[in-house]
Amino acid sequence: MLKTTMLMRGMAFLLLATIVFFLALPLGAIVLKSFEGADGWTLQNYEQALSSGILTEVFFNSVWVSTIAAVITTVLAFLLAYTIHFTNVAKPIKKFIRLGVTMPMLLPTITYGFVLIYAFGNQGIFSRIFGQPIFTIYGFNGLVIGYVMYTLPAAFLLMHNAMQYMDHRFIIVSHLMHDGKWRRFYHTILRPMLSPIGGAFILAFILSFTDYGIPASVGGTYDVIATTLYQTMLGSIPNFSQGAVISIAMLAPAVLGMLAMGILERGNVSYKSVSQQVAFSSKTKTVLFGSGSVVLVLTLLAVFTPLIIVPFTTAYPFDFGFTLQHFQAVIQMPELMNVYKNSLLVAISTALVGVVIAFVAGLLSARTQLKNRQAFDAIAMITNAVPGMVLGLGYLFFFNNSSLKGTFFIIIAYAIMHFFTTPFLMVKNALQKMDPSWEVTGALLRDSWLQTVFRVILPNIKKTLVEVFSYYFINAMVTVSGVIFIVTTHTVLVSTKIKELQHFSKFNEIFILSLFILVTNIVVKIACEFYLNSQSKRG
Amino acid sequence: MNKKVMGFLTVASSAIVLAACSSGSANSNDQVIIYSNADDEAIEVMQNTLNDKGFKGEYMIQSVGTSELGGKLLAEGKKIEADVVTMASYYIDSADAQHDMFIDLTSSQALIDETSNIQLPILGNVGSIFVNTEMLAQKGLDTPTSLKDLTDPQYKDLISIPNIMDSSTGWLLVQAIMAEYGEEEGPKILANLIQNVGPHLESSGSGPIKKVKTGEVPIGFGLRAQALDAKEEGLPIDYIDPIEGNYSLVESVAVVDKGDDEKEKKAQEIALTIANDAREQLLVQYPVALYEGEKVANEPAYLKKWATTLTVDLLQQHQAIFNAAK
Repeated sequence: MLKTTMLMRGMAFLLLATIVFFLALPLGAIVLKSFEGADGWTLQNYEQALSSGILTEVFFNSVWVSTIAAVITTVLAFLLAYTIHFTNVAKPIKKFIRLGVTMPMLLPTITYGFVLIYAFGNQGIFSRIFGQPIFTIYGFNGLVIGYVMYTLPAAFLLMHNAMQYMDHRFIIVSHLMHDGKWRRFYHTILRPMLSPIGGAFILAFILSFTDYGIPASVGGTYDVIATTLYQTMLGSIPNFSQGAVISIAMLAPAVLGMLAMGILERGNVSYKSVSQQVAFSSKTKTVLFGSGSVVLVLTLLAVFTPLIIVPFTTAYPFDFGFTLQHFQAVIQMPELMNVYKNSLLVAISTALVGVVIAFVAGLLSARTQLKNRQAFDAIAMITNAVPGMVLGLGYLFFFNNSSLKGTFFIIIAYAIMHFFTTPFLMVKNALQKMDPSWEVTGALLRDSWLQTVFRVILPNIKKTLVEVFSYYFINAMVTVSGVIFIVTTHTVLVSTKIKELQHFSKFNEIFILSLFILVTNIVVKIACEFYLNSQSKRG
Repeated sequence: MNKKVMGFLTVASSAIVLAACSSGSANSNDQVIIYSNADDEAIEVMQNTLNDKGFKGEYMIQSVGTSELGGKLLAEGKKIEADVVTMASYYIDSADAQHDMFIDLTSSQALIDETSNIQLPILGNVGSIFVNTEMLAQKGLDTPTSLKDLTDPQYKDLISIPNIMDSSTGWLLVQAIMAEYGEEEGPKILANLIQNVGPHLESSGSGPIKKVKTGEVPIGFGLRAQALDAKEEGLPIDYIDPIEGNYSLVESVAVVDKGDDEKEKKAQEIALTIANDAREQLLVQYPVALYEGEKVANEPAYLKKWATTLTVDLLQQHQAIFNAAK
């Protein structure tokens, strides 16, 4: 028994040390940098940032545009989830809504911007159909639309998940009590959903506030904090200490959001049992919500049509003949194929190592009595609050003079840390739901702790681990914001290559590379689904 | 089951090792890394020249935007990943002044204008106005002849220019305006111009030509060579040399002092090959004579140069003027 505890402690120590090295130290480097002056410690960097007025301006620009986007996203996500759980829309349509709305997650955000330009710009596909641009896509409008597309999947999944655990019998009771429509809606749906609604809003806000891809492609003259940070760090006249100050400003709303999220959690309503039988959905409601949701999802998908039209057109917008010429040209470019291989390597390694780390962290946190197991929850909170750009910048500061600079290793470590929260929580929740007496039973059967883990726990959590794999893979494939600071010539990824191609406005290549990412992610998703289905049939 | 799990862990751990090692493989370490801010067309010329001269597989070109590369040079100094850079001459000088980071290079050909001995000029970029003639006619707009014309309200939201904060091409525009109209009137014209540009202020030097080519806007300012190309491709594009002048920027090649004898020697050979052997073709794209005896077709009508040597300090001053005009 003593040996086992030592083993657990050893594992916990190793894992915590790794996380400190790849999370706490880089973040510490930013904090130090922000107080670093020509001679010693100083507050001058902060004074300078505040007095120039630029930081304040872009900060409030970001807050404003992210708020608007988050409000729209929250409303849309609620309506979509509501349609799935509280109306009698046909099952296949529900499936279409669920899959359609999550599609944008499979693409880097920088792609959305370019797609928007080719959909709604002066020569955009929809502008041509309508004879003129429907609205200006550059600046505020483009940002809002881009952010909504980007955050809708995450917000939707959150509400979808929450509604799965709602008991529909309360609605029946409300009907029996002859409640008015609005009263019933408020008490049986809105009230219990307040916490997830708040969560979705905060999530959408933070994602928008910290995203770099969308403003980089469609921001126009509306400056936001993410692009300002990039320009300050990698612009014509770099200023590292100002960059550090901006990073810290960027951290603030995320931290506040996480705190607010913690408070909202307390308002969670829990049900003793769950009945998913949709109760009393009128035909009108079903038709109304069903068609509304379908139109919404179709619009969302339609925005991406340039992706499959422009690169296969001879010379958009002058010659609309179909051609595979651009596609072949990309495939034949050794450089671009190398970049694709780099991305695959990073995504697979991130997913494999990420699964191990998330599993061990979840295991130690959920199924041991170690004193420091709460540290993992704290770490998950931190990785959730730290924007990718800020973490990437920390890596730049911290590893710049080390031999790790310019390696794939550093990119993989970044991706595992940055996306740690969700995989950890997935594993932890799954482990907590399992029978708590397994370890004891194992010990009685004279199995060591490790044997129990391998023989009992791992087989039972396989499904979750496959989901974690898919989550890590897809996110590593699409990430741009942080890795732009740490890639080098040999480690360029498809997503950062897209940023580079923007410099030459090579949209055909941009779209084809985006398609590479999309198709790869779809293949991985299908493979994982397939595996999960085969498992559930067997089991 | 146990075997399966162990197999999985083996794969996972080998993935880490694989990832850690693959960036340090022998092959990639031998390659000379070239960071370049040049356009596609120029990079293609450099690549063809190097391949013809037997350097195929021995180098790798990484294109980086001008401001980004400038930032990297100033920030990283000798620690930059690149062995060779091709970059605006003033950045090379400024970075060297700060970090003493380049080795000396000498060319066999005589230069028209003297430069510092750490760089060899490879091409001259010239700015000009360009228009989409079809769109201009369609919208019934006058053809502009000067930069000042572009402040006319008829062009509101119909002009695209590069942002001097991100692009050295944007600087060519600011130079022309400041030199012609001075400290008093210059900023006012700039402010009116930026107003007219509205949402079409581009972060990349090649942004405006793309917008004019695709018909997003009828008028742009950018590199004259790009408009020339588009015209020759048969697109309805024409260039207009503004009467304020076609200002130019010289782009040079330089070798980073890495203290690694063998690789540095190869880097030097590659730099000299670019400077000497790629010139003829580059001259077609960028019609500015840099070496004695070079003949140029399609020379700009109002070729001009800023009165003093260009420096990052001057760029910073002009950036401040530009930002104030916003």
